[in-house]
Amino acid sequence: MSEAPASPNERRTFLGIILAAIGAFAAGAFGWSLFRFLSPVDRGGEDNQVRVTRDLVAIGGAHFFAFQGRPAVVLQPRAGEFVALSAVCTHLGCIVKWIDESQEFLCPCHAGRFAPSGQVLGGPPPRALDTYPVILDGDDILIG
Amino acid sequence: MKKTFLTNLLFLLAILLLTGSSASAETTSVCIDCHSGLSGQLGEIPTAEWHTSIHARHRVSCHDCHGGDPTDYVNAMTAERGFIGVPEYAAVPAFCGRCHVGVEEDYRESLHGQVVEFGGPNCVTCHENHAVQVATIDLINEVSCSRCHSYDKPALIKEEISTTEGVLSRLESSVASLYRVGFDIGRLQDDLFSTRNNFRRLFHSVDIEKIRAETAGFDAALEETKATIDELEKTLGRRKIAGGALVLLLILGGCVALLIRRTYEDHK
Repeated sequence: MSEAPASPNERRTFLGIILAAIGAFAAGAFGWSLFRFLSPVDRGGEDNQVRVTRDLVAIGGAHFFAFQGRPAVVLQPRAGEFVALSAVCTHLGCIVKWIDESQEFLCPCHAGRFAPSGQVLGGPPPRALDTYPVILDGDDILIG
Repeated sequence: MKKTFLTNLLFLLAILLLTGSSASAETTSVCIDCHSGLSGQLGEIPTAEWHTSIHARHRVSCHDCHGGDPTDYVNAMTAERGFIGVPEYAAVPAFCGRCHVGVEEDYRESLHGQVVEFGGPNCVTCHENHAVQVATIDLINEVSCSRCHSYDKPALIKEEISTTEGVLSRLESSVASLYRVGFDIGRLQDDLFSTRNNFRRLFHSVDIEKIRAETAGFDAALEETKATIDELEKTLGRRKIAGGALVLLLILGGCVALLIRRTYEDHK
């Protein structure tokens, strides 16, 4: 005994459900990719703020530390005034060094020079060093 | 239709002309204009060599090293405009070191740097002057080093650094591949450049013990970079699989749509 073949309407309904499922899945995949593309890059949430003891940063001196996995530096140009900057040169990514005598940063790769504020003083860097927000918290400096 | 085509064509031509003129404006220098017409070491040789150099590729022009004013034919070579000219032999490291600060520092501490006043090698001995190229460890070779001393020690240094240099080259080409497929590789590129620059500083010290002691630190830094690259390459692999699956799914969707169309034909 054989069953009667499905009518065109029944087949259409069945195929329509399959097509809708495929469409929904494809739309979901596209939507997810778009969402991921537009979402901000995760830079490591736990290290969003770094605490540095004030004593480590002498007046006119610099203290290097890691911020979000990258080299950074905090300065105290004047007593009680702190500036936090990325220590990565904006030219080709070398780590800048602090020159005490001239009170400026020098990149050892191509002689890019930066002021304590991060502004470019000379050489090939196309823009200033990135700056980070600084909050004073008792004997500590909160950066980021 | 024809009007739209002509407008698009004119727009494209305008872009080409504008980019062409800005590029030529950047490379125009009165130094090249005058010296390329002269013969010998003051003219055609250095200008032709410079055009093949890494400096030319990065638009580091005559005045960036020799000073002077590249926009003024009359005063281009006056001291008032900062013209330096050709440095004395022993002053070459300081001349190049105005930009290559770190390398100069390690070179000065090396045996090479300590004897430069007595005719020891300076920067151009190995790197040439106007035809300076991207540095590779092939610069350390028997022909070059044997001009001054035996090749035994350079061979040891080359052997010591070749593994790390090989890793650096492979990672650089991996990063370039990731860039081509659209990954944000800014940080990786910065890290690699910084590591490469510091590593190359190190072998300007020509001190085998120092190189041995510090190479492990560079290998560790490169291992971290490699881990990040591996992670991105895995992501790329997953994306390829997902993309392939999605294409198959769309083909399947097309087949189902055809079958649905057939149900209407059966209905008739």
